[in-house]
Parts: sequence; structure tokens; C-alpha cells
Amino acid sequence: MDVWVVIAAYNEARAIGLVLAGLAGLPYRVLVVDDGSTDGTAHIAGHAGVEVLSHPINLGQGAALQTGIDYALLRGASHVVTFDADGQHRPEDIAGLLTALAANDADFALGSRFRGGAIDLPALRRLMLRAATWFTRRTTGLDITDVHNGLRAMTRRGAGRLRLRQNRMAHASEILHQIAASGLRYVEAPVTIQYSRYSLAKGQRASEFVVILLDLFAQRLHP
Amino acid sequence: MMAQVLLSFLLGAVLVYAFSERRRSPVVGVLALAAAAAGLYFVWVPAHATTLAELAGVGRGVDLIIYIWVVISLLLLLNLHLKLRTQTEAITSLARAIAIGEGRRAGSQAHAAPRPESGELIEPLSAAERSAWHRTS
Repeated sequence: MDVWVVIAAYNEARAIGLVLAGLAGLPYRVLVVDDGSTDGTAHIAGHAGVEVLSHPINLGQGAALQTGIDYALLRGASHVVTFDADGQHRPEDIAGLLTALAANDADFALGSRFRGGAIDLPALRRLMLRAATWFTRRTTGLDITDVHNGLRAMTRRGAGRLRLRQNRMAHASEILHQIAASGLRYVEAPVTIQYSRYSLAKGQRASEFVVILLDLFAQRLHP
Repeated sequence: MMAQVLLSFLLGAVLVYAFSERRRSPVVGVLALAAAAAGLYFVWVPAHATTLAELAGVGRGVDLIIYIWVVISLLLLLNLHLKLRTQTEAITSLARAIAIGEGRRAGSQAHAAPRPESGELIEPLSAAERSAWHRTS
């Protein structure tokens, strides 16, 4: 099993070292896609001994993930895991996602903080996520309990079906739409998200949900 | 009359633009085409605009034309947004190709280079060393 953990990172110099240290020693290949950072993120990742790809300009998390997925598939990955760079994911949850894939013969395992844990999740953020989950369930038909969770695992076949065109935050919804459209089997697995002041500052604000909806609408006009 | 000619000229330009855009973004193209054609018609037959405006509850015909103009502007704005998206996608593909290309090059170089023994550094030959090597071989 050749598992690639893809981490999209933009100006994560403060967190990326710790994230990569947490993944060190685990039986996965780690790939950091530096999305045009200006704070030395790529340098730190390179020193940690993982593979680093660098976008020449900042394009957004969705674009960086697609670059990482493409590269991992080119290098023969059997499984691809997407993992956040801000330190809110736990490396030990990756094994749970991979087990869920195998046990359910699924192509996508989606991390769910509402099946697992969400430590220090602010009430407003919880409310927004619940609303977004309800909306996504209605629009995709997927039976899920969480959205915009960056921790997911997929088989090579599943990863090959993704073609993210939403460069920025709307990619998280786009992934779910593409999973639904693929008709492949998906499963949710519990994961724990540990929020910190840093990850909350890097995360989405309420206003960005409006931008996400507009992005998704614009794509419908221009498929 | 002056205003009619000027408006006709502008709406005619929009009409041509919308026609040329209909392949790139059909929805926006067709809507802008319809709005511009309606505007052109009402500029020359304002009585019909007034009749239609009264039917629609807008008031005066000239108001209806202003509203149509606003709609055209919004559609053109939307078209611009969609074009921007297309350009962003092209830039993304380019940046991705560069990133992956460099990654693959780095990966293949790492495979091709002989593994240094512990503590041994592999340094490129200097110009003098290279010419000496050529002379002896």
C-alpha cells in the first residue's frame, strides 16, 4: 500500500514543522504543496525531509490539493489522504480512515468531526457547519454529518475521479459533489479536530460561506 | 433624435458583442442579445415601451429602457466574471504543470544521483578539474 498524505500549505511556517513532525515515522509518503507561500513554508517542509511541490503563485487550497493529488497519482499512489497544514488534524486518524476504506470496500473515507470530536469548536462555527451540512445533504444527496473537513482518504480510483476546479474554499463542497457524481462508494469515519487560536484565524469566516455559494453558482453557469 | 442615434449605436455595439460571446458563454450571450434587441426596439418605438411599462407596472417607457440597460450591464459583468474564471483556470493549469514538472525533475535527479556515503559530499567538478578529466580520458 503506497499511501500519500497531501498537505496544501500557504504561509504555514508557524505550524507546518510540527505537523510534519507528527507524521514522521508513520508508513506514509508525505507531500507538501506549497501554494506560493512567502514565509518559508517550503523551506521548512524541505528540511523535514518530505517531498515539496511549489506553486509559483498563490492559487488557493483547492488548486494545491489537485496538484498534490495529480502528483501522487503520477508517482503511483495507491491511496491519497488530504490533511490540513494548520495542525488541527491528528495523524493517528489517518489509519482509521484507511481502515474504513478497506472495511467498507469504499473509494472515499470522509472524516467527520461530528462522529468523532471537535475540541474547542466555537458555537458559531458549529452552527455554520451544521447549516452547510444540511445544505450539502440536500444538494448532493450524500448521507453525511460533516462538510468542509479537510481530512479524507481515497483510493487511487477515487482520487482519479476528482477534478477540482474551485481553486479556493469552495473546493470542499466541490469534492462532495464530485463524489456524489462519481457514484463510487463513500463512508464517513470519526476524526478529532483540535481547534486552536491559530487554526481558527486561518479558517473560514462566516462571510466566506457567501463567497463559496457564489463560486459554486458561477461554476454552474460555466461548466 | 440625437439620444436615439447614440443609444442605437451603443446598443448595436452590445448586440455585436453579445453575438460574438454566445459561443463562449451561451447563457449570458443569449440573455444580453435579447436585452440589447429589446432595448433597440424600444428606443425607436417608445410608445410600445410605455405600453409595456404600464403593463409591467414600471411607469414610464424611459424607465423600462433604463432598467433594461441595468440588466445588460449586470449580464456583461457576469460575463466578465466568467471570463476571469476561464483565465484563472488556464493560469492554474500552467502553475500546476510547473510545480509537478519541477517535482518530477527533482525526484528523478534524486533517483539518478549516486548515494553519498555518510559524511561524503558530492560537489560538481570545477572547470579546471573538468578539463583535466578530458585530457586524461
